[in-house]
Amino acid sequence: MDVLDPLRLSLLIATAGTAACIVIGTPIAWAIARSRSSVAAIISGISLLPLVLPPTAVGYYLLWLLGRESPTGRFLLDDLGIQLVFTWPGASIAAAVVSIPLYIRTAAAGFEQVDEEVLMAARTLVPPWRMFAFVVVPLAWPSLIAASLIAFARCLGEFGATVVVAASIPGRTRTLPAAIYDANLAGNEVLAHQLSLTALAIGFVLCSLLTFALQAAIRRDRP
Amino acid sequence: MTAIEAMLHCQAGEFRLDVEFEAGPGITVLFGPSGSGKSLTLRAVAGILTPRDGRVVVDGRVVFDSRAGISVPAHARGVGYAGQRPALFPHLSVGGNVAFGIRAGSKQARARTAAEWLARLELPGFEGRSPGSLSGGQAQRVALARALAPGHRVLLLDEPFSALDESLRQGLRRLLTDLVQEGGLAIIFVTHDLREAHLLANRLVVIDRGQVLQAGLRDEVFRAPRHRRVAELLGGTNILPGRVVRRDAAAVTVAIAGWNAVAASWNGDPQPGDPVDVLIRPERVIIRRGEPAALNALPARIRREFDYGSGHSLEFTPLGPGPSLVVDLPSRPYDVLGIASRKDWMLELPPGDLHVMPAVPSRRETTQESRSLPGPTSRGS
Repeated sequence: MDVLDPLRLSLLIATAGTAACIVIGTPIAWAIARSRSSVAAIISGISLLPLVLPPTAVGYYLLWLLGRESPTGRFLLDDLGIQLVFTWPGASIAAAVVSIPLYIRTAAAGFEQVDEEVLMAARTLVPPWRMFAFVVVPLAWPSLIAASLIAFARCLGEFGATVVVAASIPGRTRTLPAAIYDANLAGNEVLAHQLSLTALAIGFVLCSLLTFALQAAIRRDRP
Repeated sequence: MTAIEAMLHCQAGEFRLDVEFEAGPGITVLFGPSGSGKSLTLRAVAGILTPRDGRVVVDGRVVFDSRAGISVPAHARGVGYAGQRPALFPHLSVGGNVAFGIRAGSKQARARTAAEWLARLELPGFEGRSPGSLSGGQAQRVALARALAPGHRVLLLDEPFSALDESLRQGLRRLLTDLVQEGGLAIIFVTHDLREAHLLANRLVVIDRGQVLQAGLRDEVFRAPRHRRVAELLGGTNILPGRVVRRDAAAVTVAIAGWNAVAASWNGDPQPGDPVDVLIRPERVIIRRGEPAALNALPARIRREFDYGSGHSLEFTPLGPGPSLVVDLPSRPYDVLGIASRKDWMLELPPGDLHVMPAVPSRRETTQESRSLPGPTSRGS
């Protein structure tokens, strides 16, 4: 039970965080890859910020943003009745914010690989959304899968921002990394080992999947 | 009926494009050197890029007008587009590629239409093939079928045959002219290949450094270029500087290196004393055995010759005053005349093939003037 609860929570948070990365990060990655405008350049720069900030600093800003001290937090709590601080959805948001730069960079690299002339031909045939859904995504899918796996792995391993926003409440917000930290701090070496081995196993599976995705991309690019 | 009217102003980095032209049914070739703005023009017409300002009308429908705030998206402009490479969708079958832009009808109906287009482009039964299994010529035909399948009457082709070898190009050119004749298509065809431009064009638009230098019917443009730059771009090797000595109603007499030539075609308003350039295409010069010509006879000696297999290029220097000339001669007349056994000949420059152009073009003449074509002052060609 000591292993399963953190594992279940970690998988839940990582899945939700990855979903958020895909939904928000994909259009940003497309804009960065294809637009030459200064707005896209600014967005590109901003999207990198979570990568260069310490995760605890990201967590600190998120805590302020989602908590009662900020207008956003008050709106969420008072008007919508949504409590994010010290909850697993809050932890998912923290994990997504930390992971999204990796998702965007990887996905944008995949979008940049899509042949410009193929896109030009597609643009004269179908509306932009159809071009994206039926030409861009099928051609960039190995990169999108790789981006999702990297984001998932980062969400799963996220500790600093998550613990600041959601703390480490057993059964509610205690993720695998937080549980390892707590077990180590408490001197429970057996549990720390079990949790670490679980993380290692998940990491191995993710790395294998990532390798498959990259190999698929290489096979696709081969003439 | 005019299929396309385009007036475009674009800025791409340091490069500035200011073009205006019309294209009717048939093939209109946008011809110019690499980097002259041909592809940019085509992409702006297709809606792939948005010009800074301008206006584009396709089959009477305004698809872009910067002043009126109209910018119809590329897929809704009713034009097909094919680029330098086939750029087929690699994840779709050949049939899927061709059916991709067809909007109307059930899935089966779209597949049927795609199969019909493939058959029309001499690829029957190719629907299930993957793009990777096609040869270059087959892939380019699939790209044409894909551009035509949605039912567009206007096709924009950006050097579509440039990556193919000559035998494949010939087949595809034939196919293209057949499609135009059968279906009344309007095609704008971009090329920097002079031979291809001459082979395909009904109308020719000469573009250089982002501006239309001249536009009109192919033969008019080839025979009566506005000025030296157009003549150079169109492969004119005999562009001879001279000075007008006499102007009659039907002819201009020009002194070229001390030799007087009578020309029956000119641009602008050449007056005695004006510096001009005189053009005669190498294939229009007549080689005589020695009998005197009525006009423009020039005794000359072969200085150098080049054998191109199907023809010969001969460089002549005058025996008296006059210009040096290049003369192109097919192999058969070369043999019949016995050119190889003799050096001195009499050249004749028919007045109708001599074209006089202002030596220093006015700004009006170096910029586009598509609406006024055929040339208002072009004579005798």
